[in-house]
Amino acid sequence: MENKELAESLVKKCLEKGADSSEVFIESSRDLSIEVRNGDVETVQEASSNGVGFRVLKNGAMAFSYSNDLSEKALEDTIGRAVGFAGSTTPDENNILPSEKGETKIEGLYDPDLSQVTMDRKIAIAKKVEELAMRDERITKSGGSGFSESENEIFLANSNGLSKSYKTSVCNFGVYVVAEKGEQKSSGGEYCTRRFFSDLKPAEEVAEKAARDAYEMLDPKMVKTQKADVVFDPDVSRAILGGILSAVNGERVLQGASFLRDMIDKKIGSELITLVDDGTLAKGLGSQPFDGEGVPTQKRTIVENGVLKGFMYNTIVAKRAGKTSTGNASRGGYRSIPGIGPHNFFMANGDTPPQEIIKATKKGLWLKGVTGYGINPVSGHFSGGASGFWIENGKVVFPVKGLTIAGTAFDMLNSLDMLGNDLDMNRGFTAPTFRIKNIQIGGV
Amino acid sequence: MSMKGYFTGDIPRRKFLELSLKGGAALVAVPSLMSLVSCKGTPSGEAVLTIEKDVLNRTIQKALERGGEFADVYIEHRISREVLLEENKFKSGVFGISQGAGVRVISGDKTGFAYTDEVTEEKLLNAAQVASYVAAGTKAVQPVNVESEKRPSYITVEVPLEQVADQKRLDVMNRAHQAALDYDKKIKMVSVSYYDEVRGRTIANSEGLYLTDELPLMFFIVQTLGVGNNTRHMGRERLSKHMGFEMFDKYKPEDVALTAARESVAMLEAEDCPAGMMDVVIENGWGGVLVHEAVGHPLEADNIAREIGAFTGKLGQKVASDVFTMVDDGSLPNMRGTTNFDDEGTQMKRNVLINKGVLEKYMTDILSAKQIEMERTGNGRRETFRDIPIPRMTNTFIEKGSDKPEDILSSTKQGLYVQSISGGSVNPTTGVFNFTCREAYLIENGKKTVPVKGATLIGNCLDIISNIDAVGDDLGFGPGICGKGGQSCEVSAGQPTVRIRSINVGGSRSRS
Repeated sequence: MENKELAESLVKKCLEKGADSSEVFIESSRDLSIEVRNGDVETVQEASSNGVGFRVLKNGAMAFSYSNDLSEKALEDTIGRAVGFAGSTTPDENNILPSEKGETKIEGLYDPDLSQVTMDRKIAIAKKVEELAMRDERITKSGGSGFSESENEIFLANSNGLSKSYKTSVCNFGVYVVAEKGEQKSSGGEYCTRRFFSDLKPAEEVAEKAARDAYEMLDPKMVKTQKADVVFDPDVSRAILGGILSAVNGERVLQGASFLRDMIDKKIGSELITLVDDGTLAKGLGSQPFDGEGVPTQKRTIVENGVLKGFMYNTIVAKRAGKTSTGNASRGGYRSIPGIGPHNFFMANGDTPPQEIIKATKKGLWLKGVTGYGINPVSGHFSGGASGFWIENGKVVFPVKGLTIAGTAFDMLNSLDMLGNDLDMNRGFTAPTFRIKNIQIGGV
Repeated sequence: MSMKGYFTGDIPRRKFLELSLKGGAALVAVPSLMSLVSCKGTPSGEAVLTIEKDVLNRTIQKALERGGEFADVYIEHRISREVLLEENKFKSGVFGISQGAGVRVISGDKTGFAYTDEVTEEKLLNAAQVASYVAAGTKAVQPVNVESEKRPSYITVEVPLEQVADQKRLDVMNRAHQAALDYDKKIKMVSVSYYDEVRGRTIANSEGLYLTDELPLMFFIVQTLGVGNNTRHMGRERLSKHMGFEMFDKYKPEDVALTAARESVAMLEAEDCPAGMMDVVIENGWGGVLVHEAVGHPLEADNIAREIGAFTGKLGQKVASDVFTMVDDGSLPNMRGTTNFDDEGTQMKRNVLINKGVLEKYMTDILSAKQIEMERTGNGRRETFRDIPIPRMTNTFIEKGSDKPEDILSSTKQGLYVQSISGGSVNPTTGVFNFTCREAYLIENGKKTVPVKGATLIGNCLDIISNIDAVGDDLGFGPGICGKGGQSCEVSAGQPTVRIRSINVGGSRSRS
């Protein structure tokens, strides 16, 4: 039986077994991963797999089960488990499945040529990026390079009559190298991920960035504990965006566990800040024709010129909040119950070249690396480890490591005063370079 | 790229926050409910898939047909249950079944690997063929036929999970939920997450090894939201053992809830933390995650074999202060990081990594042990049959010392007292680590005073272990999830109360 028919027949089977409504999510995937080190293949991993997840509602109570054994007997048993489990959970009038029938048309989610590219060519890319990254004499060791790809096909059906499917592909290559000088070690890594093989960046570009990230940070200095401006490189935008993303999760908002819970239609930051979640972007790494429970995806403005415009919802949480689903049901695969998550989440581009932002900074930190959890979505408190370059009078003067930065989300978002024009939409989660005035920096 | 993600940390209720970093990264810690298996109401003992030894022999033979010196087959069968009680509702129940097999071939430094969801001879032979790709043209080793072996067990079960009615699971959750709400009116929301699994393993290799076992795992997490005047704090406590349901006779669900609730309420009064270098006292228990990250990951032998690890070439050298002894021990009875043997079949045991400041051992899996010519330490672990084994920690801790915890605090004039840590990450090459505190207090004149918000601790592994100058006699442990190379695994981290002189603390105000 084809997966589409299988999904539809399993929806019926759930009802026969006692569910009031049901949803079936079938996923099949193929993965390949190649790792290379010192010019030689180190590992090759290859496999394909299938699995199915069942979500059932019975008397308003919800339960879920999954299996990767697709034999008829195992599937019956797994459905029985979900229906049985629904006798233990709490009935809730908000527990419903979606009935939105359409889907969003998105170009470029699947590259039919990817699986046709020969293994030798894929190995050659991994070897080449490593060789190029090792060319600089400051680079002494390779931590390895690699190429990986996967193809994924989703079938989703529910008892409200939905039956949808889509296919995606993704490929990636990258390298990790170490620069050494005396006792010092500094590491750098870079990768490129695309839906289409032919869209991958040249190996030169990826290799050069990895090597530069490693050797540029040799001979770092410490600075005094002080307040100074911080210029956020696109590589570290997650440190700010991650906490905001959690705080606009509609369920967290209802629970009171979000620092943005009372801020709808209010100013939460500088007018330069516009945040968008776009599930519809052509070839986007976070794009899908419908979300994890079948609702068509959208492009939504979450923050517009500093004003919070909306939260993210799946079907159940939206009903609870008196809203409609925003197409943000996220699903980490057939084993995952639908949660809430973004698609391509980014800060809209500004118009200042990043070099101008550095030039305009009298004293501060050009932040290239952040460690820690970023903004705490409950309290809005931010604290993390920091590394990058020190700026004096508009010029980069030396690398810095082992610093900390801290503050509150509202202070930081309101102090964002310069926005770059270097947004790269080839990442699922990104921002252009931006500057935040006057952040507490911890040093010696 | 296998070396990017190292983290140990928070378990968000769902996969919200994904904070990925450059260099040595912290991804999100998602409980590894991935890949779980068929119960079919079978009693304990039948969760291990039975595969004839002849089939395993033929698979291994096939894997080494084109060359290679080692091959193994790992068959896994997992059944899991997960229930979420939140906002007074049992919101969802998840039942999972997962099974499959991975076949691996090692030839020199090369590894070939393939897996299959279907455990049949045809699929196993097919996986063996795919895995053998890397070894083509090399010298082949003749495999030894597999023979069963008896091993000691470090995991005892009194009440098998398969025999526990769902209602009993709900009862312990309700008890914790109510206890947290009753603790204080300021507790406005409680989330209780219950997870259990039974993982059956069969491991066979070309050295003739054949082992099977069955590991139960329980994981219980309580999170509480405290609400004050303009402040909110999410507290958390976790309990996890490789044990049957008797875990809740030995450890009360109410106690787990009260620990989380107490933290939530205490931290509502937190003030901004000062920034800069200061002395730090870390309370016993899960604080051991600091050495798990800062020292443990850099002592895993894969990066040592690649000669890029921070401790490369330092075996036998003095790397830490005399009071510092660090151990990884996967044989501690029923603990979260314990198994009977690792996922390559190597016996679990106590491994002293750093002894009174001297580096004595790295943690190895079969491949890295061969590469650096060291013993197999029992650290070859994998998240599921879909993953390749890599060197991982088990129960990792600072060995207890002789100082009294109260003396360590009272002899610290000024600094930071860290009562609990959320988690942290490390770059294993440079040894640069970071930690986020959940609950911390200023130390003034040898006393804990005001609580401070979300402080970050950062530093370099080699500096930190040289700067430990006091080690208490109160060794304790906490459960966690460790992530590396995209694989999560269950660990414990432990330590007595310790003092580290001069760590850089990230705070949002300058020191007054």
